[in-house]
Amino acid sequence: MHITRRNFFRFMGAAGASVAVRPPSVHAWQSQAPPDPFGCLVDLTRCVGCRKCEEACAKVNDLPEPERVNCQCTIFEKDRRPDDTSYTVINRYYTGTVDVFDKPVPTYAKVQCMHCQDPACVSACIVGALTKDDTGAVHYDVSKCIGCRYCMVACPFEIPAYEYYDPITPRVMKCTFCQERISKKGGLPGCAGICPTEALTFGRRQTLLGVARKRLKENPGSYIQHIYGEKEVGGTSWMYLSSVPFEEVNLPLLPDTPSPKLSETIQHSLFSYLWSPVLLFGVLGACMARFNRGNDQKQNNADKGGA
Amino acid sequence: MMIKKIVCLVGLIPLLAGVCTARAWQATDQERARERAKEVVPFVKEYQDDCQISRRICLMDAGVSLDDVKEVYFLLDSPIIKEREDHYEPVRFAHKRHAALVNDCSKCHHFRPRDENALETTRCSACHQDSFNPDHPERIGLKAAYHQQCMECHQQEAKGPVDCTGCHLKHVPDHKELVKLPDNPDPIQVTKACLECHDTQGEDMLKTAHWLWRGPSPYTTGHRKDILHGKGTTALNNF
Ligand code: SF4
Ligand code: SF4
Ligand code: SF4
Repeated sequence: MHITRRNFFRFMGAAGASVAVRPPSVHAWQSQAPPDPFGCLVDLTRCVGCRKCEEACAKVNDLPEPERVNCQCTIFEKDRRPDDTSYTVINRYYTGTVDVFDKPVPTYAKVQCMHCQDPACVSACIVGALTKDDTGAVHYDVSKCIGCRYCMVACPFEIPAYEYYDPITPRVMKCTFCQERISKKGGLPGCAGICPTEALTFGRRQTLLGVARKRLKENPGSYIQHIYGEKEVGGTSWMYLSSVPFEEVNLPLLPDTPSPKLSETIQHSLFSYLWSPVLLFGVLGACMARFNRGNDQKQNNADKGGA
Repeated sequence: MMIKKIVCLVGLIPLLAGVCTARAWQATDQERARERAKEVVPFVKEYQDDCQISRRICLMDAGVSLDDVKEVYFLLDSPIIKEREDHYEPVRFAHKRHAALVNDCSKCHHFRPRDENALETTRCSACHQDSFNPDHPERIGLKAAYHQQCMECHQQEAKGPVDCTGCHLKHVPDHKELVKLPDNPDPIQVTKACLECHDTQGEDMLKTAHWLWRGPSPYTTGHRKDILHGKGTTALNNF
């Protein structure tokens, strides 16, 4: 039989089917989330856009002072992202709501690392420079980082940034959840500590979920009945409440499955019992054998014809 | 002789002490407000969860009126907030004026302590203290209570400040020390001096209508209908 395109696909299809009917892997994916992490609840209905959180974040993390820190006149004209000089930014959105005076009501939304329960960045990091610790913080260890920037590609919220300008000791930059501060008793993240309206509520994630549910229940008209981050990508330590649809304030629609669940399951099943290399080389071997046999026959025919 | 000297010196002591203790004149009401601001009262754990209308009725039944407002103003300068963050001068809250304007005590005194012996109205800092108290996670802290209460009402009523410096005094350094201008400076010199430090504000100004406006000048002959005048186009005083 010649290896035609059709035959090849038929063969691969059969191989694929045999993979699909394999019994479920013994290494079923398991969440690595810490049992009682801290969290932060961002209530967009309370945020007044003062950007004190940006200022405090820069101060406690030794980052440069945010752009135009005391002047809010033009800063919101552009949509900003956290970058290598700032771990958090506030953006302003007009979503069409108007107040009693027919004035458009802005919604301000804080952006920072969500400190996912099962972080894609941690899963993607091949040297373990990113870890999720017991406080709930996703911690970055610069001494281990090799600068591959897989974390930046993996993060569903596009958070990690990179010090591209620094050729010698570049770092991945993202919100630290003020890990050192919150590890101390009574310690607060810089941003939550300064927020004048408690738009940022800091506490245990479980407690915050209770607080959030209570707010949704007691003010049904003021909120969208959803806690963003409760289930998104398997849950995040930072969660949001809002009165406007979350997509409109740049909080993307995401599935509830943790991103690492899919990627790690594929990866682990590919490597369990070494079946995939065995299969790969088996297929290649079979192809070569058939191809060779075909050639041999041709050769034989040619030889015969020539004799 | 010696004894006389000693007696003289001893006689001077009360005088000296008097001089040392004499202080500059101080406004008594301001001192009172300062002292009051420092007080921390015991935390009210349990409160009566009434709706606002029944609160209002309770307050009316109790006969709470404007006459009960003893202090004209408070200084909001609580150590509860300051021990965490301390960036601003205290806010001077005109309690009596607000009471008279709002004319509804239940707007701010929205709950009362569950303890029946407690007064009908309580100070904010009795129920709202440190933020993020794990024992009362739904209770907002004092700083947030002030900001939410003040700003929400100011926004709703479109009255009163909603920006930081509308309420908080800012430490503005004396510009006489910072800026050196010649005698009788011209406008360009003054603007130049301002822009030496406030350059970002200067750039912002260039994007506002103050700089870019164009339109008719209804009080200038010949320009009444011409919409192509203004700082954005022909006006020449853009130094
Ligand atoms: S938001 Fe992105 S960077 Fe932060 S923990 Fe999740 S995956 Fe990692
Ligand atoms: S938790 Fe800390 S690092 Fe993260 S945004 Fe807040 S202040 Fe910045
Ligand atoms: S400090 Fe609080 S209110 Fe101010 S911008 Fe940040 S989250 Fe919003």
